[in-house]
Amino acid sequence: MNSTKANTPARPQQKVAPDSERRLLQIKDTRVWYTTVAGEAKVVDGVNVTINRNEVFGLAGESGCGKSTLVEGVLRLIKSPGYIKSGQALFTYPKDGNAGETTVNLFELGLGEIRPLRWQHIAYVPQGAMNSLNPVMRISDQITDAILEHGNSTKADATKNMLHRLEMVGLPPSVARMYPHELSGGMKQRVTIAAAVTLRPELLIADEPTTALDVNVQRVILQELLDIRKELNLTIVYVSHDMAVHAELADRLGIMYAGAMMEVGTTSQIFKDPLHPYTQGLIRSIPDISKERVRVEGIPGLAPSPLAWPTGCRFHPRCQFAKDVCRRVEPLLTETKPGRQVACHIYTDAWNEKSPGGTVQ
Amino acid sequence: MLKRHPIFAYYLRKLITYVFTIWGAFTITFFLFRLLPSNPVDAWVKTLERQYAVQQSSSVANTAAYYKEQFGLNGTLGEQYVRYMYQVFVKGNLGPSFVNYPDPVQTLIMKRLPWTIGLLGTSVILSWVAGIVIGLLAGWFRETRFSGAITNIAISLSQIPAYLIALLLVLVVGYGLKWLPTRGAWDAQYSIGFTLPFILSVLQHAILPATAIVIVSVAGWILTTRSLIITLLGEDYLLYAEAKGLKPWNIMRRYALRNIMLPQATGLALTLGAVMNGQLLIELLFVYPGLGDLLNLAINVYDFNTVLGVILISIVSVMTASLLIDLALPLIDPRIRTQIQST
Repeated sequence: MNSTKANTPARPQQKVAPDSERRLLQIKDTRVWYTTVAGEAKVVDGVNVTINRNEVFGLAGESGCGKSTLVEGVLRLIKSPGYIKSGQALFTYPKDGNAGETTVNLFELGLGEIRPLRWQHIAYVPQGAMNSLNPVMRISDQITDAILEHGNSTKADATKNMLHRLEMVGLPPSVARMYPHELSGGMKQRVTIAAAVTLRPELLIADEPTTALDVNVQRVILQELLDIRKELNLTIVYVSHDMAVHAELADRLGIMYAGAMMEVGTTSQIFKDPLHPYTQGLIRSIPDISKERVRVEGIPGLAPSPLAWPTGCRFHPRCQFAKDVCRRVEPLLTETKPGRQVACHIYTDAWNEKSPGGTVQ
Repeated sequence: MLKRHPIFAYYLRKLITYVFTIWGAFTITFFLFRLLPSNPVDAWVKTLERQYAVQQSSSVANTAAYYKEQFGLNGTLGEQYVRYMYQVFVKGNLGPSFVNYPDPVQTLIMKRLPWTIGLLGTSVILSWVAGIVIGLLAGWFRETRFSGAITNIAISLSQIPAYLIALLLVLVVGYGLKWLPTRGAWDAQYSIGFTLPFILSVLQHAILPATAIVIVSVAGWILTTRSLIITLLGEDYLLYAEAKGLKPWNIMRRYALRNIMLPQATGLALTLGAVMNGQLLIELLFVYPGLGDLLNLAINVYDFNTVLGVILISIVSVMTASLLIDLALPLIDPRIRTQIQST
């Protein structure tokens, strides 16, 4: 599996700074808040995560945990009353072609500075492909306008590029002349994927692209996405609440809960050996078709409100292992072994000091 | 490929509706005016009796009967209706006017139509363009102070009737400051023709009435455009366009403006159609020789032929505008095209 390869700890003897070389996007202590009449909604509240080159990074978590807001923050698409409270998103990309690589903090760029980065370096497959295409423009115009906006390709080149990408996602050239309402949901989703890779971006952020589709179409589109990724050497951040999709697609996974990153690891690590009690609950909630029919276990309780996250560990009201320390102290995302991080007191030395309240596994 | 038949069926349906609506509206107007307790000839005879002490006599009755026949007022209501409809729609003759006897109504209308179209058409198009541009900006930058100010001003203006603004302009700019003429469409010292002084005089006379109309109607366009844009701003495809890294100007032009043109073009066509009634009060205030002024003259003397003629123009132009929109919409909006094809 790709996942093991991508996550083998960097060997120092191979390169001087392999960790930083593999790094494509480093999100540090990022907060995206919304101003509401009831106070600040801390939808994303202190996320740390690193996306490496050429991996598919799955961003998982239940609805309202801040996954989409986090990627919209990185894409700088947050609209008022939302705002990026603090943090860094360090993105490394080849500025001006081959003249070496530059690292910029996406949050510090002005809107005029971020615009050239979009589509050329960071592309986006939107959550609602259904409504993401302009109903009164032909598909071809909606793909080529972005190509023509960046760089200096001719109209003919742009059209060729567009048709080639449509072909990659299995759409006939006739689709180019159509209007969005003439396409099915799956076709529209394919169009957004084709459009996103026209300029061969370093990073592709896909926000629940298949959620609205039926499982058959979903399956085909995921396969196409994997093929494209292989062909173009893309890095993909894939946002989905669907753990089954992540199992199929992602090399590494980040589990979000209540606006924070709870656990990061390779997909096989997360599925085989989930560390965080929340992740454990998530995994347990996937039905296993190879076993006898049993009632699928859910996680008790409701997701908390972003207006007032629980104190200490945000998961403690729903956690069966919760102790006094969980209510008081917020656990930090710490590395348990290279490439594996978890934010839970169970894995700290302090856990067993007083009373062995909750045992791990 | 485009299937031909459903589109033609659609066009045919619209055309039939067009013909029947005009006929219906015109018929209703015809009978409504015939319901009035008088008619031009009787009213005229009464005036003569009152003012010049003309005695009731057979010669007066004969004269009255002669003119009644001229104006199509003899016979039963049914007969009058059939005769009139035949004369108008088959012979294309609106009958003699009473206000300017014996000039036929169409001559009067043709004389005044250019003035109404010139003044009102220009003002409507001007205010439409200005309203869309200002409304687009006010919607796009909706959180700025500029947008708030524009919106408040537009809301206030849209509630003020045009004639009030016109009165103010007449009083302040016309009589107070004496900057611009307030009566008529051109200065009487110039003869009508394509000469520079005449054209300049026409433009000079048009400024005040046009301003009164523009000030009020631009407010309406600003408000509708702004709210259309604000609704549009929540659309996913605008966020997507931004994510594509398009320049804000291109997003505004290709994604926002383009999508609101559909309702706004419809609105413009309907307004242009309605323009043909003339802005009655505006034309009265500025003594502007348009259709509104003619309608006012005709109503005062029960001149049925002229009133019906002006109203026919108005009905036909409103209906034609809306027919043209119906015919053009499938060409503008691909979604409507598909809808028609699938029915």
